[in-house]
Amino acid sequence: MARKAREAASSAEDDVNLTPMLDVVFILLIFFIVTAQFIREPGVEIDRVDVNNKERQNPLGILIAIDGNSEIYMNKQVVPLSEVGFRIRELREDNPKGRLVVQADSEAQAGVLIDLMEVVNEVDNLGRVPLSVVNQ
Amino acid sequence: MRGRASRPSDEAAVDLTPMLDVVFILLIFFIVTSTFIQEEALGAEPPPPQTNAPSNPAPAIIVYIDETDQIRVNRKLTDISAVRGGMERARAENPESALIIQAHPEARTGTIIEVRDIAYDAQMERVNIVRSAG
Repeated sequence: MARKAREAASSAEDDVNLTPMLDVVFILLIFFIVTAQFIREPGVEIDRVDVNNKERQNPLGILIAIDGNSEIYMNKQVVPLSEVGFRIRELREDNPKGRLVVQADSEAQAGVLIDLMEVVNEVDNLGRVPLSVVNQ
Repeated sequence: MRGRASRPSDEAAVDLTPMLDVVFILLIFFIVTSTFIQEEALGAEPPPPQTNAPSNPAPAIIVYIDETDQIRVNRKLTDISAVRGGMERARAENPESALIIQAHPEARTGTIIEVRDIAYDAQMERVNIVRSAG
């Protein structure tokens, strides 16, 4: 009897209880907000070398890529070497803590890599420049 | 008028739909913009500043990579698989020596990374990667 009365009430109101779904949605939202890292990807395909001594870079901050034609990419644009330092400082404004990683293509010229490492060392004060190694 | 005023007080219901819309839009935004990039990296030392480069009294093991990617350990032409042996032999002769990886500007980046990896395997200390002149 009671059931019948409840059914009648719900059909009259057309009410769905949204609270559990809201809980789930909020949890998802908070998860994505917390894990969101706004990294500007270089946007080029890099052929990396696999090595034995690698270290996971976490949290990631700035990515600089050198493609197979030895051009430096940051944020999907070719960047001349003279501008790299400025770009790093610019990105550091948004992301003061994230690690800087250089993605160097294995076919790129060593001279470009060494020049870039010098700039990175000067601007970011890294004793060791992390070179990305494993292909995803 | 009368109906509207009386119903909410009966039900005490809040209309959640606009908030849900906003929350969903935020959720979709964060799902779309989130990037799960994982990077594994090898640490490589940049060349030391020019000022104190000449005053390097310690003997150094020099691994030279030329423009055709041939490797010379202390001027001796070495295959990549024999570089570790060459490094360790040179270190046994001069235990205090630093390791300098000297690369021709047109050498492959991949070779430098491999040599640096071998140096980690051989537990070499004070490694530097420098550019050779010309």
